[in-house]
Amino acid sequence: MLAEIGFVSVFLAFVAALYAVAAATYSGRIHSERLLLSARNAALATFPLLLIAALALWIALIRGDYQINYVRSVTDPQTPLFYRITALWGSQRGSILFWALLMSVFAFAALLSTWKSDRRLMPGVIAYTMAVLAFFLFLIIFLENPFERVWVRDLPSGEIGIVDSVLIPPDVRAPPEQRLVENSQGLNPLLRHFGMVVHPPMLYLGFVGFTIPFAFAMAALASGDLSTNWIKATRRWTLIAWLFLSLGLLLGGRWAYDVLGWGGYWGWDPVENAAFLPWLLGTAFLHSVMIQEKRGMLKVWNMFLIIGTFSAVIFATFATRSGLVDSVHSFARSSIGMPMFLFWAGITLISVALILWRRSRGELRDEHHNTGLLSRETMFVLNNVIFVALTAAIFWGSFGAPIFSELFLDSEITLGQEYFLQVTPPLFLALFILMGVAPVTAWGATSLARLGRTLLIPLVLTVAFVILLIVTGTSNLVALIGYGFVSMAGFVALYEIWRGAAARIRTHHENPLQATASLFTRNRRRYGGYIVHLGITILGIGVIGSTIFQTERQVTIQRGETIAVNDTYQMRYDNFTEAIAEDGRLMEISQITVFKNGNEVAQLRPRIDNFPDMPMTIAGAHSTLENDFYVLLIGWEEVNYSAATFRVYINPLINLVWLGGLILMLGTIISAWPNEIVPARVTKSIPAGIGATA
Amino acid sequence: MAQAVSTQPWEKPVSAESERQKLAVKGRGRWKFLVGGLLILAAVGYLVISGTLSGARFFITVDELLADPAYVGQTVRIAGAVIGDTIAQDGDSITFTIAHIPKNTNNLGESLHLAANDTSATRLVVTYEGAKPDLLQHEAQAILSGTLDENGVFHANELLLKCPSRFQEGSSDASLGAAEPPQS
Repeated sequence: MLAEIGFVSVFLAFVAALYAVAAATYSGRIHSERLLLSARNAALATFPLLLIAALALWIALIRGDYQINYVRSVTDPQTPLFYRITALWGSQRGSILFWALLMSVFAFAALLSTWKSDRRLMPGVIAYTMAVLAFFLFLIIFLENPFERVWVRDLPSGEIGIVDSVLIPPDVRAPPEQRLVENSQGLNPLLRHFGMVVHPPMLYLGFVGFTIPFAFAMAALASGDLSTNWIKATRRWTLIAWLFLSLGLLLGGRWAYDVLGWGGYWGWDPVENAAFLPWLLGTAFLHSVMIQEKRGMLKVWNMFLIIGTFSAVIFATFATRSGLVDSVHSFARSSIGMPMFLFWAGITLISVALILWRRSRGELRDEHHNTGLLSRETMFVLNNVIFVALTAAIFWGSFGAPIFSELFLDSEITLGQEYFLQVTPPLFLALFILMGVAPVTAWGATSLARLGRTLLIPLVLTVAFVILLIVTGTSNLVALIGYGFVSMAGFVALYEIWRGAAARIRTHHENPLQATASLFTRNRRRYGGYIVHLGITILGIGVIGSTIFQTERQVTIQRGETIAVNDTYQMRYDNFTEAIAEDGRLMEISQITVFKNGNEVAQLRPRIDNFPDMPMTIAGAHSTLENDFYVLLIGWEEVNYSAATFRVYINPLINLVWLGGLILMLGTIISAWPNEIVPARVTKSIPAGIGATA
Repeated sequence: MAQAVSTQPWEKPVSAESERQKLAVKGRGRWKFLVGGLLILAAVGYLVISGTLSGARFFITVDELLADPAYVGQTVRIAGAVIGDTIAQDGDSITFTIAHIPKNTNNLGESLHLAANDTSATRLVVTYEGAKPDLLQHEAQAILSGTLDENGVFHANELLLKCPSRFQEGSSDASLGAAEPPQS
């Protein structure tokens, strides 16, 4: 019954989405308000319908309806409730449904919140969001159905046939329950981690979120309302999408660090890179729309950026799902590979064609041209160029080179980590330099002398910071250069906040706390942005420290013995125990004590969890702001556990990566926080209303 | 010449001069942007090309690696099926043997199973500096980056493992009731 409910709901949502696309497009042509309303209602209906479908699958997962193939593939009778709920996105089929559900939620919220203010854009917005949704529903219905059940058919020859089908085919019976349970598989142990539970939904929210600005951009092109309305309407949506995408990436890194047991958080793996590409383009877009709002420049460029971001979102989704990351051949074999590729290529081509059409009519001309070489505009353009270059370089390294060589050179060439470690640091450094200079340049033009005067204090602070680092023992030149440029971006952000607050103290006679608070409430976007810059700076310092100064060492210790890991740290192997967890895994747990300069600082329990067929190394870590003392259990003496082997990583400053991530999120939330002053919306709705009735 | 032009009253020499100046400023500005853009493009291009040259690894099979002596000492990327009995931890490094798997197989799980249990398949001894990864087990697919030495031992500095048989979503298992495999 659950399978039927779920399937029928998805099907109805699919029909509603298709109807919305057709009705919205046609209503735009004949200017029919009633038809547009009808299209909107169909689009809104996809959310409750998909919610019913998701609930049906959730109930099936919780009840253990093992006849449904998806339920059998991600849960077994031992799976606890929590992982039964998260199993909805535990594997491909369920996660496409989850993707579609989130897409309908975003479309629902965006349509309701902008319905009155941006009526002229609505036909295009509905058509584009629903076309994207309809495509994913198409995948669910025809290729990757999570409601598919298994049936047994008695053949005339006396043998038994197996049929996979959503609806009940003729002459079949349900397989015996016992057999179904025996065939059920629990969730992949690697995914049983909080980071992995939260990481996919965050990433999907980010991906889905970028569909909204994309749909508005396309609606602007289609409707001819090429003002900054589409940018204003979607500024918050873009920030929210960016926030979730950043969170998704950070959680993915945290998961890799905690679970994969190699002491790092970013391996330049194609799957990671695929999710990083939309983040890079989305970040470029967030910056460059400011130039269009302030100066009416870069109209075509902004359109290309949002198309690129959305295109990267779809690419990331299909590259990781179709096996493209493994090789072109596994992509060709995947059932959803070709449809996803066609959708990606189709939507990208249509969008680019729309831009070129509007451009050829001269409607995307910039309002300003003259700008000094040393101006805010130039800095933003440079920032964009670097972001796009980074995207292209990472795309080439992870997908371009392997695919190109496989298709045209008849050999497979892959680019190792060396490629990324060589190509990306200079580009990231350039971004940090721009992050330091851009905020203090003026729109139009700045003289070098004036720029120098404003940068003086942050520069002095940076030099002081670098000298402090040298005095405290950092001698690596690359690290010092990195720390210097990165920290300067942070000092500039702090200095700008201080400058703003100081001006308020002078003119409004507020106390420093009041001044800072009113600074943030008056211009959330700008000062929230500086907080994001500060977060990125801290994250950057963490990345430099943990990449350049990570040390690793393997040691074998007798029980009770204390050894020196390096000049500062000592560790003692105390004990070894075995235990069986609730879900049946056998845990082999070592116990160690960590000393810093002879003083006990932590007791750690690095262990190995033996899931059936799959051991998992769980690190023990002692985290401080200075570093992580990260220990993996490698092996042990079978007799009495008299000795054990450990691999010890010392990861300096790694916690700044997570701390920087938190600050970045805080800054984004400040930036995206709604203003209480409402009148802006009222004035905006007047021209839009005229446009709709005309 | 300029003097001759300025003597004509209808030429409005002052405004023409300023117009020319404006154009010149605009032209010079564009020129600066163009040069700057080209410099950036060249720098990024240099980074990507040099990175590609130093980071490129040919992805070849075990058979291809052993057939061509030119590969000795060159950094390559290979894939093979891990033979479980051969895995040994030796101090800081681990050694194991992998078997050749053909390129572009349709069913990776099956070809891994065949290769690991086929004594006639080409085998290669691998050493890897580092901890034994969890997934290093019988019939896993090992993807290695490293170099082959003169003694025929492969020194891996990067080790990636995949176990395609486990935790994969697929259609129903034949054991659900049938004696015959399902038609998929």
